[in-house]
Amino acid sequence: MFPDILANMAHIHLGEGSFPLWALALWTAFGVGLVGLVVYRIRKGGIKTHHIALAGIGAAASFAVFQLNLPVWGGIHMNLTGLVGILTGPLLGTLIALVVNVFSAALGHGAVGLLGANTLVNATEAIAAYYVFKTLLSMDWDVFPASAGAATIGLSLGAVLMGGIIVISGVNGSALPRGDLAFAVAGLVGLNLGVAVIEGILTGFVVQFLVSVRPDLIEMVDRRATEDEPAGVSA
Amino acid sequence: MATLSNHVPDPRLITAYSEHRDSPVHRINPWTKFGVIGALVIAVTVAKSLPVLAGLYLATLVFYGVAGLPYRRLGLWYTLPLLFVVAVAGPLAFLEPGTPIGGSVGTPIGDLSVTWEGAALFAELSCRSLTVVSFALTTTMTTKYADIAYILGTVLPRPVDQVALLTYRFTFVMVETLEDLVKSVLSRGATLSEFWSNRRTYARILGMTLLTAIERSERLVKSMEARGYNGDITLYGDVPRPPLREVVALAGCYVAVVGYAVVVVYEVVPV
Repeated sequence: MFPDILANMAHIHLGEGSFPLWALALWTAFGVGLVGLVVYRIRKGGIKTHHIALAGIGAAASFAVFQLNLPVWGGIHMNLTGLVGILTGPLLGTLIALVVNVFSAALGHGAVGLLGANTLVNATEAIAAYYVFKTLLSMDWDVFPASAGAATIGLSLGAVLMGGIIVISGVNGSALPRGDLAFAVAGLVGLNLGVAVIEGILTGFVVQFLVSVRPDLIEMVDRRATEDEPAGVSA
Repeated sequence: MATLSNHVPDPRLITAYSEHRDSPVHRINPWTKFGVIGALVIAVTVAKSLPVLAGLYLATLVFYGVAGLPYRRLGLWYTLPLLFVVAVAGPLAFLEPGTPIGGSVGTPIGDLSVTWEGAALFAELSCRSLTVVSFALTTTMTTKYADIAYILGTVLPRPVDQVALLTYRFTFVMVETLEDLVKSVLSRGATLSEFWSNRRTYARILGMTLLTAIERSERLVKSMEARGYNGDITLYGDVPRPPLREVVALAGCYVAVVGYAVVVVYEVVPV
C-alpha cells in the first residue's frame, strides 16, 4: 500500500530553500506585482460584498477539496484552480490562489518563501481557464468540452510555467547545468500535464453538474442561455 | 477508497492543538513565532552546509517536541513535502556530476548512478524543506484561532484580508461538508475505489461542495449586509507586541542568519 504517492495542483514541486536567494526575491517580486495589480483593479472598480463572500468561501472550498484523496495513480490531490477561475473570474481567481497558497504554506504544503512563485503558477491556471472557457463558449462549444478543455489548458500552462520557474531559478546547491536541469524537470512537467488532463475532465463534469442545477452560477453560460431564449412574442 | 487524506494536515486538528493544549511554545507571542519563520526561510535558503541544515532541522524537531505535538502525525504530514523533494531531487541525485556510489545501471540513455554529490543534495533539500514545514506546523498548532485571524487581518492588504478571514472561518465548515458528502455516498453503496468508473460521483461530491460553498456565501452576504458590512470584518481580538526578551531573541536569530550569510556563505566579510 503506497497511498498519496502523487500530489498535484500543478504546484511548484519544490520545498522551502530549493531556490537561491535571488530567485526567491525575484519570484516574490513578481507575485507581489501580480497581486498588487489585481488589488488595484479591484479597489478601483469597487468590490461588492457578494464577491468578497464568494472569494472567501470559494477559497475555503478549494482548500477543503484538497483534503480529498482521489484514487488515480496511487492517489492524487486537487484544488481545482481551473474551476475556481471559471467560476469566479480572473481577479477573484488570483486572490483565491494567493489565499489558498498562504493557508497551504501554513500547513506545510507549499513553501512560505515560494508564495510568490506558487501564486504566479496558480493564478496563471485560473486566469487562463477563465479566458479559454469564455472563448470556447463564444465558439458555441458545449459546457462539458469547453470547461474540460479550459481547465486542462489552464493547468497545462501552469505546469509549463512551473517548469520554467525551476529552470530559470536553478536548484539551490546543484552544480547541474541548466540544460540537464531542464531535462530533469521535463519529467515533472510531463507528469503534471497528465494530471492536468484528469483534473480537466473532472472540472468538466463538475461544471456540467453545476450548470444542470444552478445555471445562473456560471455567468457566461447563463448569459448565453438568456440570449438563446425566444423573446416570447409570436406572430 | 477515497477518503479525506491523513497525509494532509486537518485544519480542525491543528486548531484543536492550539486551542486546547498548553506548553512553553503556546505561550510565546504569535508575532515572535511568525518572525522566526521568516528567519528560518532565509536561513535554509542561504545555508550551504549539510551539517548546518541538519542542525537547524533537529533544533526545529526539538522545538516541536517541546510544544507537546505528536511526532507520528508529523511523519504522516511529511509525505507531501517529501514528495516534492523527491520529484526534483530524485532525478538530480542521478544527474548531479560527481563520484558514483557503487556501480552504475545501464539504460537506453546511458549509464545511471547515484553520486555522493547527488545524495548530499537530496539530503540538503530534504532538511531545508522539512525545517520550515515543521516550524510552520508548530506555529499553527500553538497559535490560537483568534490570534491567527488578527495577524491575517493586520498584515494582508484589503480586500485580501477580508477574503483570507472568510476563508479561515469557513475552511472548517467546508471540510465538514466534504466529509459528510463522502460519508453519504459511501453509505449509499458507492465504493469510490476506481476514479474513472466513479467520475460522475466524484464530480457530484466536488460540485455539491462548491454549490454548498456558493449558497452559504449568498446567505453570508445577506447577513453581512444586514449588519452594515462596509468592507471591514471587525476583529475584536488583539495580539500585543512581543515582550522585550522575545524581541531580543528574534533579533538574535536574524543577526545570526545574516551574519552567517555575510561571513560564511558569501564571504563578504573575511574572517
